[in-house]
Amino acid sequence: MSGSMTAATGTEALTTEMPVGRSTGWWGMVMFVATEATLFACLLGSYFYLRFQYGPTWPPPGITEPTLLRPLVMTAVLLPSSLPVIWAEHGIRRGERWRLRAGLATTLVLGATFLALQASEYTEKLREFTMTTNAYGSLFYVITGFHGLHVLIGLTMISWLLAASLRGGSFGSHRHDRVRNVAIYWHFVDVVWAAILFTIYLSPRL
Amino acid sequence: MSTTAAPAPGASRGDLARLERHWGETPSVRSWLTTVDHKRIGRRYLVTAGLFFALAGLSALAMRTQLARPEAGMLSPEEYNQLFTMHGTTMIFLFATPMLFGFGNVLVPLMIGSRDMAFPKLNALGYWVFLFSGLFMWASLPFGAAPNNGWFAYVPLSDEQHNPGLHMDVYSLGLLFLGVATTAGSINFIVTALKLRAPGMSLNRVPLFVWAIVATGFMVIFALPALNVDNAMLFLDRRFGTHFFDPEAGGNVLLWQHLFWIFGHPDVYIIVMPALGIVSAVLPAFTRRGVVGYPLVVLAIVSISIISFGVWVHHMFATGLPQLSYSFFSAASTIITIPSGIQIFAWLATMMLGRLVLRVPLLFVIGFIVTFVLGGLTGAMFALTAFDQQVTDSYFVVAHFHYVLIGGAVFPMLAGIYFWLPKITGRMYHEGLGRWAFWLVFVGMHVTFFPMHLYGLFGMPRRVYTYRSEAGWDGWNLVSTVGSYVLALGLLLVLVGVVHAIRRGRPAPPDPWGGDTLDWSTDSPPKPYNFPVLPRVRSLHPNWDGPSRESMATGAEPDRVLADGRRTLRTSELDGRRERAVEMPEPSFQPLVLALAMLTFFTALLLAWYPVAAGAAATVAVTLAVWLWPPRRPDTEVGVSA
Amino acid sequence: MSTHPDPRARLAGGLLFWYAVLGGAIAWALHLLTGWGIDELACAAGSEAVGPVPLRTALSATVVLPALATVGALLAATLLWRRTTHVVTDGEDRPVGRSRLLALVGIWSNLLFLTIIVLGGIALLVLPPCQR
Repeated sequence: MSGSMTAATGTEALTTEMPVGRSTGWWGMVMFVATEATLFACLLGSYFYLRFQYGPTWPPPGITEPTLLRPLVMTAVLLPSSLPVIWAEHGIRRGERWRLRAGLATTLVLGATFLALQASEYTEKLREFTMTTNAYGSLFYVITGFHGLHVLIGLTMISWLLAASLRGGSFGSHRHDRVRNVAIYWHFVDVVWAAILFTIYLSPRL
Repeated sequence: MSTTAAPAPGASRGDLARLERHWGETPSVRSWLTTVDHKRIGRRYLVTAGLFFALAGLSALAMRTQLARPEAGMLSPEEYNQLFTMHGTTMIFLFATPMLFGFGNVLVPLMIGSRDMAFPKLNALGYWVFLFSGLFMWASLPFGAAPNNGWFAYVPLSDEQHNPGLHMDVYSLGLLFLGVATTAGSINFIVTALKLRAPGMSLNRVPLFVWAIVATGFMVIFALPALNVDNAMLFLDRRFGTHFFDPEAGGNVLLWQHLFWIFGHPDVYIIVMPALGIVSAVLPAFTRRGVVGYPLVVLAIVSISIISFGVWVHHMFATGLPQLSYSFFSAASTIITIPSGIQIFAWLATMMLGRLVLRVPLLFVIGFIVTFVLGGLTGAMFALTAFDQQVTDSYFVVAHFHYVLIGGAVFPMLAGIYFWLPKITGRMYHEGLGRWAFWLVFVGMHVTFFPMHLYGLFGMPRRVYTYRSEAGWDGWNLVSTVGSYVLALGLLLVLVGVVHAIRRGRPAPPDPWGGDTLDWSTDSPPKPYNFPVLPRVRSLHPNWDGPSRESMATGAEPDRVLADGRRTLRTSELDGRRERAVEMPEPSFQPLVLALAMLTFFTALLLAWYPVAAGAAATVAVTLAVWLWPPRRPDTEVGVSA
Repeated sequence: MSTHPDPRARLAGGLLFWYAVLGGAIAWALHLLTGWGIDELACAAGSEAVGPVPLRTALSATVVLPALATVGALLAATLLWRRTTHVVTDGEDRPVGRSRLLALVGIWSNLLFLTIIVLGGIALLVLPPCQR
């Protein structure tokens, strides 16, 4: 233990270069995700700001607390959808094209299911309140809608990857930058959903 | 430390011919529309930002003319509102940041020894989007529909009920549109500086200007989303009846202010930081030594960019927070002055210890220090709450931020223009003309804005389109107006100097000033590929040290020439170790098409042609899909096992 | 000099490096967000407690813990500085210059952030948490 401690605090280890060897595309996507994450942080921050400025009853009178069943199902669909992407990415790094295709197709199905569930959620909610009912309605639809838009963009990217991989000659063990970049974006869309689930659906119950 | 001609070429004649074939661009309309060369794009940024500066400056002249005497009728209140809003919005968003991004675009690849930015096509897109968003906003003025709410557009004055018409829709959509360019540019700067530095340029050898641009990029990435969210909410409130800022339906007007200043305070540094980087780049050449305390200046740049996010509440002192949580923010607001001070003292020490060469760029740097410090002084006065409450929304505030912004951004930019004009155009400017311009700008600036302190204290509020004679502000206002014409004349002389240099200037050598960074070790203007041989950097001042210069001449190695293709070197993030050569993209129409599609999208949103907007959005998606579509390669090359 | 460390030691060393450089900044950001958030929300809710914990205690935690983390980062930065002091730079392959620059940046920035956090702590000693 003390040996490894010494090694870790030695000059060699301390001057280890880290991060290292990333591509320009990787950095570009990470920076893009960073700015997008800030965007969502501002939206969710606005939610809490308006909520705590509003007063004790939240959602405002006339709107019932959001039910949890459907959002939890949506979570169960969306969060695991990152796994096939990871599996696909590991596959293509070893040159296994079938894993890339199968993994992307699975994610595509899961993501589309999520959007379908969100559509049914909206049809139900719209009968109760809309974006123009009050600030709560505005927050609800803009935040979830903006996230839904991100899911849609992510799915477009995944379909695009899938199309390119079906054509052949696009990806392999030497060429998988684009796969990794889309994967980063998709993981981001997933993680944001967890934050939205907490904010919109769980926090009013606290 | 030589000021002689270019280093002896280390690349063979054949290499040069191949480089020229892969990188060269023949002048044609096509190449003008498709270019991805960072130098051409950077030049366009500079020229276009200069154009917007002129437009905003003319608005200011119109306002000063109106205010020259009491109860003048040259401008109607409506026109005056639109003019001061466009003046502020343009100066902040369409002039300051893009102008500095223009310098960054031209200089970052040259200073780090690369052949282009990390994402050249994205760079071209950034320029087109900047141009179109600027035109989008200014096009509203002839229709009398320009933004009219002041540059920070506080609700409730900017909501639909109190401000009908397209005015504030133009503002919110225009800034959202521009945000695309600013974000893309920032990401590009960060990635370029992380990955494309010449081999050997570890972080301790990165020029201060590049540090400043990267810090700015990071601030944009984390600050701009707040403004974007804010503007999106404003647009939704105005157009689609949401209630984010509507207190009657659970919204809150202070939300606008919070989000705006979360962006707005870092934005002060977003504007000033790269300008301070220019100062750090100009000084070594005219003091004949490196900036004193390089690590401390790096510390200042890094810590300012972080702490600037923790001070926004001080713009909202009067909103009723618990005093304790206010003091968490005010601790940060106090401490952020330390790194700012470090920079000023580092420059003063550099000038004291160096041997001054009093050319025009250095004059502007000295003008910068004087003006900026005065602006900082009045800034410190606002920290006294009682005083602040007295002068808020008076001309005292106007005086303060013009000292900060003209001092902190415009003077360094002018220094930069004279400094890099030989590099960018290949021509020397006329020294005498430059000195005249400096003195006119300097005197004009102080004559215009110093009296504003006074009549601000005498009670003249800002943003009034006229005033009565009884108040006794007439004389001082006339002085300001006279000053503004002197200032305009000085700026005109700068323009004359630039045009004169381009048309009549004598050809510039590669290194007219004896500069220390890599931009001075290549031709003026640089070849399309920047460096025939990519350098091997061995110190913080590569142009002043023999081995670094030699690496581009007699010490040339084939793996730093890379003449077979459009290629540059990728190196490691922290230590700048060579990783591999990367392909750079060819010129393309895609950036222009994408920007046009976005312009269509935002125009259609503004005019409520939603089907057109949907079509434009689809065009954006398709263009991006084509842009990023992977080229088809043989299975063995991509590496497929089955 | 030490022999070549194994990958895990390198990872730990690399992480320690970034803790030394950015630890204070991150600790300050957490201090600001939690301190401000807790104070603001608790006072808006009209209570002087966060659950079972008195507000002042909770706020002290948001000052003391980040301050300790910053002191740790300061020590790490000092260690980094010392470890790179007497290294012979044989040619260009030893990346010591970069580490040395960032060690210095780390030392000074951790001091700055420590000062900010401590100033916030002094305010906590002087002001009642909810005084407007």
